[in-house]
Amino acid sequence: MICCCSNEVLTMSKRKRPDLKVPAPYMTEQEKILYNLIQSKQDLGIWSWDIKRETSLPDNVVDKSLKSLRSKLLIKEVVNVQFKGRKHYLASEFEPSSEITGGKWYNDQGFLETEFINFLKDQCLKHIRNLKIATVDTVANAVRRSRVLKIDCSSQEIGDIVRALVLDNDVIEMRSNGLGEFASVPTGRMCYKCRRSPDAMKEPRVGVMAWIPCGVCPRIARCMPGGTISPMTCEYYSKWLDF
Amino acid sequence: MSFRPSCDPLASSSSSNTWSPLVQRLEQEQEQRQRQQQPRGGGTMVPPSQYGIKYAVHIISSHFGDLVAKVCECLLRRGPLTHRNIVRFMEISASQVKNCLLVLIQQNCVQAFSVEHPGGDEDESRRSTEYMAVFDNIIHRMRFPKFVAVVSQELDKECVELFQGLLQHGRLTLEKMIDRAKSGQEDCPAQDATRETLSKLINARFVERCPDPEPHLSPPSEEEGRARKRTKFSKVAAEPQTIEERVLAAAAPMEAKRFLTIFHTTTEEDGQKTECSFPGVGEKRKCDALESDKELGSDGSQVLWRVNVQEFMHRFRHKACVENVRERLDGGAAVALNAMLETSRSMEKKVKTDNAGPLTINTIYEEVMKGEAGRAMTLDHLRASLVMLGCERGTDESYQIDLKNIIELAQNEEVESVVLKRYGREAYRIFRLLSKANRLIETDKISSTAFVDKTETSKILFRLWKDEFLHMEKVVVTGPRQTQFLLWKVNKSTLWPHVLDEMYHAALNLNLRVAYELEKENELLNLPIEKRSGPLEKRYNRLRTVRLLLESSLMKLDDAIMLFHDF
Repeated sequence: MICCCSNEVLTMSKRKRPDLKVPAPYMTEQEKILYNLIQSKQDLGIWSWDIKRETSLPDNVVDKSLKSLRSKLLIKEVVNVQFKGRKHYLASEFEPSSEITGGKWYNDQGFLETEFINFLKDQCLKHIRNLKIATVDTVANAVRRSRVLKIDCSSQEIGDIVRALVLDNDVIEMRSNGLGEFASVPTGRMCYKCRRSPDAMKEPRVGVMAWIPCGVCPRIARCMPGGTISPMTCEYYSKWLDF
Repeated sequence: MSFRPSCDPLASSSSSNTWSPLVQRLEQEQEQRQRQQQPRGGGTMVPPSQYGIKYAVHIISSHFGDLVAKVCECLLRRGPLTHRNIVRFMEISASQVKNCLLVLIQQNCVQAFSVEHPGGDEDESRRSTEYMAVFDNIIHRMRFPKFVAVVSQELDKECVELFQGLLQHGRLTLEKMIDRAKSGQEDCPAQDATRETLSKLINARFVERCPDPEPHLSPPSEEEGRARKRTKFSKVAAEPQTIEERVLAAAAPMEAKRFLTIFHTTTEEDGQKTECSFPGVGEKRKCDALESDKELGSDGSQVLWRVNVQEFMHRFRHKACVENVRERLDGGAAVALNAMLETSRSMEKKVKTDNAGPLTINTIYEEVMKGEAGRAMTLDHLRASLVMLGCERGTDESYQIDLKNIIELAQNEEVESVVLKRYGREAYRIFRLLSKANRLIETDKISSTAFVDKTETSKILFRLWKDEFLHMEKVVVTGPRQTQFLLWKVNKSTLWPHVLDEMYHAALNLNLRVAYELEKENELLNLPIEKRSGPLEKRYNRLRTVRLLLESSLMKLDDAIMLFHDF
């Protein structure tokens, strides 16, 4: 699948399915043991260390057999998003579960598609601002009508992005009461509104505690008069009061 | 047995929810643990935290000296004590302890009370006097300039002067106030003026009668029995109070007496009698004076008056709500809320009122029109603002607003701001997710909902947990292979006191830094102005800027402390 945003092209992996009509190639006994184990794990797959532990086969036999199975296209190596350094194997006929891949927002290398996500966020924010009061469905329709994406993002995926905007505090989440500015939204439906105007500052208002050195200090628990860290000798204070 | 998180507790999909029974069980167990850990006696008054005590002691020390501060610290750390026990713990003379207690009582920082101790088999019960530190009143001392600012906005210069005298001396009788006004001279105009000024302050609820100097506290069993009788037919059981709450409640004057002012009996110019008439004009005037003096206590009955802190807390809470709404929504919503609060303030019995209203749209509109900002507001605009505020609407177009919710939102914003500055944007998103969800969520789910890389998510969660911003539960699933899952939650009942303690710590640090900066430049401050030139003048100006920054930061931080402690 290819998504177009601005002038850049982001690719998401193509996942092929093996041709099941081709007869299974010859396997040694050890290869059969390994293949059956890997196949039994279905879309979760298994880590090479776990293979060695469960089969109790010598390491070199396991490594050789895995290499052979891969060359025969019976198994494939996938990236486990939680443990990127590990060798994780799946039987070829299975697609890795979202627990392994990280889900739709992760690429084949196991990294978050940050650029694509940020692009979608900007698009959704723009549409919410235009709509004044929006639901997930109206935002999804607006994104589709704008045709900035070559692929179709489902309402659920757009909902994920909108909820991320709420977490960023760019958008407020409210339930419609059917009155006033919510008149066009059914009562009880969740809707969204931009938190601030486009001209306002990007960052949310800084709280009082966050504005003073102690509020952002990671060592406040160890700070005391006369101690190694103290308000009298504090570097953060000295910088703050450096006029 | 494998155990995979197959549900999405935050999505609206109808997928099967294998997590929720386990999570629900964990939450129930956690709530049970928290209930067991609550201090006996329940109550709503939370004992001061470590840095709360240090901050309070620092305030007393800077205002009254180290000895008084030590006695105060002893009471804050150990709870109510008799004079004898204070002497024993402090290892100073009895007379020194007595003098310190007198100062603290005079300044409303300590409340005495008598309590009966049941005797043994053959001994009679005995009564003793104990002394209790009033933590809130100590912290309020930092707010005196704010109180003065409110009074000076609403009343005249004479009221401000008298008010400042009450702040300085803690509590005064009318006689003392008159003496203070005219240096003890027998001057009728000064007496009348002072009486009138005091009446204005009382009528505005800025001043109140002092509490009972030594109320008697019945043994807990007697009071519980009385409470049980009172609530026999009530649906909600009376919540047991802490000893501090019981003492303050026992000491407080009756509401009818608390703001009892002079009784005016002015006659008409043509000599017609008023409701309260007296035999002759001269006698009448004398009787008036005696009557008023009796009420205000200048006949020697020693009625003491002090600043009514509760009134200021009310006003500051309202102001905080209005400012939060102005920043979060818009000016129109702020005007509407302000009008509702102004109208309903007199009906509020306590500072931490949950709701304002219900008030009809016309009542609110009348109040809106009184202010300059509201004069251009139409009724429809007001309705739209009330809807934006999330007001609950009644059938007769009356509106009620949840103030507790506004305060909670303000508190959330304050803590989220700290998380953003201290830990970064991704931590901010994660924290907001957990704060909004208000339940345990598994690491992977947090990662996918907040769009934070999985390995980064784990690092952030551990950092927040280590610094006590998050609560963590481990779930171990046994089967062919043991798997461990970590669940996370923002637990406001433990986090909010932690944040408040950090605020006290920060306030103490600001105070100490001011003192340090001034001490560092002590010689410069003692120099005559004409000798401060060139580099010295530059240093002096820098010191002035530093002091202004630190002290104004302290005042703003105090607003945040009120948000978490008093509102």
